[in-house]
Amino acid sequence: MIELSHVSKQFGDDIAVEDITLRIAKGKFCALVGTSGCGKSTTLRMINRLIEHSSGDIFLDGQAIEQYDPVKLRRRIGYVIQSTGLFPHWNVARNIGLVPRLLKWPATEINTRVEELMGVLGLPVGEFAHKYPHQLSGGQAQRVGVARALAADPDILLMDEPFGALDPITREKLQDELAKLQARLHKTIVFVTHDMDEALKLADHLVVMRDGRIVQQGTPLALLQQPADPFVESLLGGLERGLKQAALTRVKDHMTSLGPSWPAQSRIPADFSLRQALSMMLRDHCDRLTVVDQGDVPIGELSLRRIVKEAQLDKVSQRDA
Amino acid sequence: MSLIDALPSPSFKRRPWHPNVVLLCLSGAMLAAAWLLSFVSVAPNRIVSGTAFGMVDAISWPGAALVSLLFIAMAALSSVPTSRHYRAMLGIIILTLLLMPFGLMVAGHWLVDPSLPQARLGIGAAYWTVLFVLLLCLVELRLRLGLSRWWPTLLLAGVGIAWWGCAALWLDRLALVQEFQAREGQFYQAIGQHIALVGTAVGVSVVLGMLLAMLMRRYQRLQKIAFTLLNFLQTIPSLALFGLLLAPLAWLAANVPPLAALGVSGIGNAPALIALIAYSLLPMVRNTYIALEEVSAETLQAAKAMGMRTGQRFWQVRFPLALPVLLEGVRITAVQAIGLTAVAALIGAGGLGTFIFQGLGQAAMDMVLLGAMPILILALIVDAGLGALADALRPGGQE
Repeated sequence: MIELSHVSKQFGDDIAVEDITLRIAKGKFCALVGTSGCGKSTTLRMINRLIEHSSGDIFLDGQAIEQYDPVKLRRRIGYVIQSTGLFPHWNVARNIGLVPRLLKWPATEINTRVEELMGVLGLPVGEFAHKYPHQLSGGQAQRVGVARALAADPDILLMDEPFGALDPITREKLQDELAKLQARLHKTIVFVTHDMDEALKLADHLVVMRDGRIVQQGTPLALLQQPADPFVESLLGGLERGLKQAALTRVKDHMTSLGPSWPAQSRIPADFSLRQALSMMLRDHCDRLTVVDQGDVPIGELSLRRIVKEAQLDKVSQRDA
Repeated sequence: MSLIDALPSPSFKRRPWHPNVVLLCLSGAMLAAAWLLSFVSVAPNRIVSGTAFGMVDAISWPGAALVSLLFIAMAALSSVPTSRHYRAMLGIIILTLLLMPFGLMVAGHWLVDPSLPQARLGIGAAYWTVLFVLLLCLVELRLRLGLSRWWPTLLLAGVGIAWWGCAALWLDRLALVQEFQAREGQFYQAIGQHIALVGTAVGVSVVLGMLLAMLMRRYQRLQKIAFTLLNFLQTIPSLALFGLLLAPLAWLAANVPPLAALGVSGIGNAPALIALIAYSLLPMVRNTYIALEEVSAETLQAAKAMGMRTGQRFWQVRFPLALPVLLEGVRITAVQAIGLTAVAALIGAGGLGTFIFQGLGQAAMDMVLLGAMPILILALIVDAGLGALADALRPGGQE
């Protein structure tokens, strides 16, 4: 668990981060979002003491981070950056095995671990182990970067715009894989990004920052439903907000049981999002879809009226609360 | 792309002519030099300047035809540059280099009067020009064929050994060989001294340079002072620096007996080494400093974030990444020191410069060559060797 309590950071006269209070529970995925220069990267680097905070307290598993030896602290926190920071004079296997080597694991154990991680991240050992970073594509290099961060099996992973330099298709693929990985490994992840869609897609907890301060934090859905101010609203996409919210909602949560009426022509898998369902309705010029399970067997139906109404109900219940 | 480019080109269109202009010009230059400049000169003794002879006089018509044929073939090959042709040209260059001593042998047999024991054969301007242009061709071919720097070095070493053999066995009429034979023992001693001086100066300045560069990284204020001082040292002419060191070192030797026992005196090795080290420090410190500073800040930050300690970051990341640039510094320093050591002969430090200055004093040009040639060869070998080493150490073998 990571806890920041009234943390500030000053560089000379400049205040980079001001009075940040944040709690990230174990196994949660927290995204820090904001425009460039808002202090999100500084916040991240204070957690592994690459930057020492000026005031306030940062706790890791209940212990103030000043009490840890910074080197030992960093070895138990995985760290991934946009430029990958891979060592150009080491091959892939040696790069990945860095932290276990620093922790003086036995050589055979390091090898096993490196091969295991390369498997997890879709890097065939025979093809990649002996390649050098300059021989890799951007996506492959970032996979190696993530593998290196996970090598010593840290509880915490800090990621500083890890997919920012990748092309949209590779970026989306790596986001999906990270989501899957997280569902399996349950690391505590702090993820810095300026891409709100990326944050909405991956995070359990969203923190919006501006000028070194936290503007709003909460679950992605909560922020979408009630942005605190016009800045957060514009970050969330303004008019696109409705669609973004729909993207976070599964079809199966809004479907009704199959009625006696005529089944709809268009079929949609139950684990697709409402956004995809709306898109399908627009494409096929219909207001009803048949919801199917993985075996393409109809299990319910989804109607446009219901989606719109329930969205309204959500809003009413929010206001009442 | 314009519409015209997008159209399929008509099949009758002739392929444009794209010769390798560099090699074409160089081949032409060699052909012209061989015909127009003096091929060899013959002198009745050591001091008299010789009579110049052209190619036809020296190696007769069949020889001249063979030489012309080689250079015309090179020109022809360079007009259609394919990698096969480049390889063929490499072959011609090696053949030409190997044939060069035989040309001298033939010329010596033809032109030198055997009844005059002092008569000698000098190498003419055509020879030097062709030799120089052939080296240029080698550089161009190395780049075109993408060979490592080792290749031409090995090649030249092979050719050098072949020349050495020829010189020892058959070329006793050559002035250079006569000068060598007259002072063989001295020659080897001079090479030894030269290498020892260069090796010591470069070795000491590598260690000092690294220490200084590391201190400069720690204390930023030292950086300005040190660079100003080193730049200043570099502007003093070498001869003046030797002169400046004469008095203080002589005084030290007279007043501090332990130093005198170590061989320190106003002239000889001590001032030569001090001056050589002083000159070597600037390129060494500058390259080491730049090499260490140039390592990407992001890579180093990542190293820190992974939990590497200061020493681990330096020795496992910063230093290996800086090594190729650092070695470039050693290369520049060494090549510079090889040249400068020649001047050190003036203050009695020995080395190959001895022959140059003696030869100049006696107006014996061939003796100057006896000193200058090995210096040149030494510089080329060190340059290529250290360059290739730096290439080999690039991270992950990247260019």
